[in-house]
Amino acid sequence: MSQLFTSPDVPQVLTTTLSIPYTLTPGGAAGQFLAGLAERRILGSRCEPCARTVVPAQDVCGRCGEQTPDLVELPHGGTVTSWTAHQGRVVAKIRLDGADADLLHVVAAEPGAVEVGDRVAADWAAEPTGWITDLAAFTPGRARSGPAEATPVARAETSVEMVPYRLDLTYHHAYGPYYGRMFDELGSFSRLMGSRCSSCHRVLLPARAICDVCFARTDQFDEVSDTGVLQAFSVIHMEFVGQTRKPPYVYAEIVLDGSSTRLIHTVAGDFDLADAASTLSIGMKVKAVWKPESERVGTLEDIAYFEPVIP
Amino acid sequence: MQRRISRVAIVSVAQTRLRPSWDRLQHVDLIGSAVTDVLKGTGVTMRDIDFVIDCGSDVLDGRSISNCGFLGAMGGHHKEESRVEEDGLWGAVYGVTKILAGPASIGLVVAYSKPSESDVSAYYSTLADPFYQRPVGLNHRVASGLAAREYLRAHGLDPEVLDAPAAAAWRNAAANPYVEVADAPDAATVASGGLVADPLREHHVSRNVDGAVAVLLAAEHIAERITPAPVWVTGMGSAMDSQMLTDRRPGELEAAAAAAGTAYRRAGVTDPASLALAEVSATSVAEELMVLEALGLAPRGHGASLYGDDSPVAVNPSGGAIPADPVMATGLVRLAEATRRLTAANATTSRAVVHGAGGIGMQNHCVFTLEV
Amino acid sequence: MSNVAVVGAGQTHHARRRTDVSQVGLAREAAVRALQDAELTMDDIDSVIVATGPVLFAAVNQPEKWLVDALGARLKPVVRVTSGGGTGLAGALAAVNQIKGGFAERVLVVAYDKLSEGALQYSISTLYDPFWGREFAVGIMGFSAAYWKARMDLLGHTEEAAALVSVKNHRNALLNPYAHVRKEVTVEDVLASRPLCWPIKLLDVPPISDGACAVILAGEDAAKRSADPAWIRGMAYYSEGENAADRSMIQSEPLRIAAEKVYREAGISNPRRQVDVVEVQEPYTCFELSYYEGLGLCPPGGAAQLIESGATQIDGDIPVNPSGGCMGANPIGATALIRLAEIAQQVRGRAGAYQIPDAKVGLMQAGGGWANLRGVAVVSSTKN
Repeated sequence: MSQLFTSPDVPQVLTTTLSIPYTLTPGGAAGQFLAGLAERRILGSRCEPCARTVVPAQDVCGRCGEQTPDLVELPHGGTVTSWTAHQGRVVAKIRLDGADADLLHVVAAEPGAVEVGDRVAADWAAEPTGWITDLAAFTPGRARSGPAEATPVARAETSVEMVPYRLDLTYHHAYGPYYGRMFDELGSFSRLMGSRCSSCHRVLLPARAICDVCFARTDQFDEVSDTGVLQAFSVIHMEFVGQTRKPPYVYAEIVLDGSSTRLIHTVAGDFDLADAASTLSIGMKVKAVWKPESERVGTLEDIAYFEPVIP
Repeated sequence: MQRRISRVAIVSVAQTRLRPSWDRLQHVDLIGSAVTDVLKGTGVTMRDIDFVIDCGSDVLDGRSISNCGFLGAMGGHHKEESRVEEDGLWGAVYGVTKILAGPASIGLVVAYSKPSESDVSAYYSTLADPFYQRPVGLNHRVASGLAAREYLRAHGLDPEVLDAPAAAAWRNAAANPYVEVADAPDAATVASGGLVADPLREHHVSRNVDGAVAVLLAAEHIAERITPAPVWVTGMGSAMDSQMLTDRRPGELEAAAAAAGTAYRRAGVTDPASLALAEVSATSVAEELMVLEALGLAPRGHGASLYGDDSPVAVNPSGGAIPADPVMATGLVRLAEATRRLTAANATTSRAVVHGAGGIGMQNHCVFTLEV
Repeated sequence: MSNVAVVGAGQTHHARRRTDVSQVGLAREAAVRALQDAELTMDDIDSVIVATGPVLFAAVNQPEKWLVDALGARLKPVVRVTSGGGTGLAGALAAVNQIKGGFAERVLVVAYDKLSEGALQYSISTLYDPFWGREFAVGIMGFSAAYWKARMDLLGHTEEAAALVSVKNHRNALLNPYAHVRKEVTVEDVLASRPLCWPIKLLDVPPISDGACAVILAGEDAAKRSADPAWIRGMAYYSEGENAADRSMIQSEPLRIAAEKVYREAGISNPRRQVDVVEVQEPYTCFELSYYEGLGLCPPGGAAQLIESGATQIDGDIPVNPSGGCMGANPIGATALIRLAEIAQQVRGRAGAYQIPDAKVGLMQAGGGWANLRGVAVVSSTKN
């Protein structure tokens, strides 16, 4: 029995996590700024027409939109111009000596111990990683390293070209009334239920409140057969990050008998996947092969695969 | 010969109730509800609608090109449809320009979000560039805290100045049938709330809510056949500030002022105070005051004065975005709220200004002027 | 009604991986080239529309917020329009509406993707409903291959015909200085290439590219000051419920609707005769065949014959993708705008080595999502 069915009063969600790897390129000024941190140098960029030195270094002046090829090495000390504390962490705008704009960074201090006007100094991470956090934070007090004043420098020779990154995003997708009922029926009775449009009377799977074509409401649930027609298929050989099954396998789009929509699944059975292209054909009848009841969890994967129906 | 459209009106608005969590409904349920309701009583059917513009966020929805999955619920099947991935008020800009461009004459603008399903802080932090601002912990709360401190310092104000406007926002929201508020805090409760982003306290910052809103736009020659009280869009403007928080002018919202300047110029508004109704967006009370000042409704540093009984401008009678911020839909909800008030039987004003925002620390701004 | 024209276009030299520029640096390169092409500066631009692929491609949410500084667009209207692979055209359409609607006189449209930085198939797989089908997702390639197989059986879009598309577009890309892939392939090479999602094979698939494109659109008065505007004669972008009842997966309805609307606006009744040059966004070779039919360049089921006849070759009577199309470069979010830029440069006589002689009317197609977002545009060297 599915949880949904046994406790319909509890809102149900499907929790999913996207964990996507990236390799990011800072490019230009940012690449050089980040490389500079490994040498404990803080690089800014100078826009001569605007007479502004900004830090961290930028490729383009945010004011005039022109390129700012001139780099400047800045002192390691500065003054807090604004701060906030959020979840126990102080984040501040810091005006480094010799700069004309602030730098956003962490101040390693208790929230109550920071004031606008406080002097702070760069504190460095022990091991550089290519991120801005190589400049670990600013700490209250006077700088004990770095140049005494803003100093023009030649374009740095080193640049951080690529840094690994990962986005981890978690979601709690609500089932809602239509998917709730649909997954109840799937989980409790291994039944596929679509919803019927009140206007065109076609059955839509997955179940939904509104028919896409008619913009009319659906007015009843209808059971859909676990047999259908193979509308389209391809044979997957490719591997990729995030893939949920091992190639080769068949990607199939099936129109189940009693429904008018496409179901995405896989076709397998008593044939060699290497021969899928010639064994399977468009328009062929297929039938669901359900997993043993003990292995069903109330998702589409309760159907292990669809198999060709040999007439 | 094609008719030259000179004016566009809002002819119907609808929205779901805004709640911290619509945990029993999906996006499509919320969208479908708002879109179904916006057609009610208009005589317009989905078949009459020329185009759909929708505003939502893939990052909030946990789904790429999420509008693809929601097209049926918004009536987008076999229609011109576009996703504007910004607050719904920019969707309305698209809708208005599309009707003015012709030949489309009726358009639907939809905005929605379900922040309860995701991590709003991640939504905001991923708006920051990945190299300079994201790794040091920038998100919407940090940006609001910094903005508040800079605003208060620039004008020599104490943080307590934020309490009465916050209490007014929550009081108004509690009286608004479209916003779910269990317990509206009074000024003393606001003042004693926990610090969220120093100097901002719990009730000073926006509360994220789930909801959907739909707005029906029509060309002049059709608007008056749909409703006896079309609300005319008289001006629109938008402007984006620098992505670097440190490259924006502290204590004010330059881009909001630029957006308002454009909208006012187009509408021929010379005295902003003549816009007696203001529905504005903000992620904190301090930023709400900055918006009001950028819109020219109060002198710099005096935004809080607009919340008194003798204020010439009714500010956020809906409660605004502090008690109810359905990220991506917030500005379009303001448009819907202003429309309802301008067309109410007991309306006290015929002109309104509406404001929406996007980005961290409200980087992007959009302003509409309306008239009945 | 006022007219709108393309008055400038620019693109980057597309590559597998650019480690010298960030995402926004890449986009700036294209914008700078478009401004130079138009002989304008950012001061002349009233509004900016950014178009990119889905944000999960790139780890940056709403990247226009980052791009604004690199473009020097601070305090201008900047908004992002997104629509999967067709996003560049959706962005251009928003710009056309802004101009015709009186919101702006000149609009800069910038489209880009830096696909080397992400995990493409994983990101695209998140297009699928998290409840229903995502577990079977293979980006959009598994889906596209499945319906190619269906069209193969029903319309005769054979693997050999698709291979001819690959051969043609690869060869054309040799002429394109901005192309990322420049290598000649034969039909045999394509047919023998490794199956990825059969019937899609490696050489049916465009590269994965880092690249950007920018186009400047202007209203009639502003465009008249340009020496060679490419007038937008029609532009439309239509959607379809991706799992609507009885959705036709064999001939694209939204493409048909968009093409009909655009042809009506442009006064085109016989595109094969009236159009001089075509650029289509072919995410896989099989789609180019499908578009021949959807755009009315041949009757349904006639695509294989059309490619076999040589008509769509660069020297044929209806050249398709003389730039090399996506086979030359495929920064997904930018590809639709690149197609528009290419036909604009053709009718402006600025297409260089792959210029179609005397091209006056250009047709482009783009789209995305579940093949359910489809757009079309016609540009011309004359206003009407």
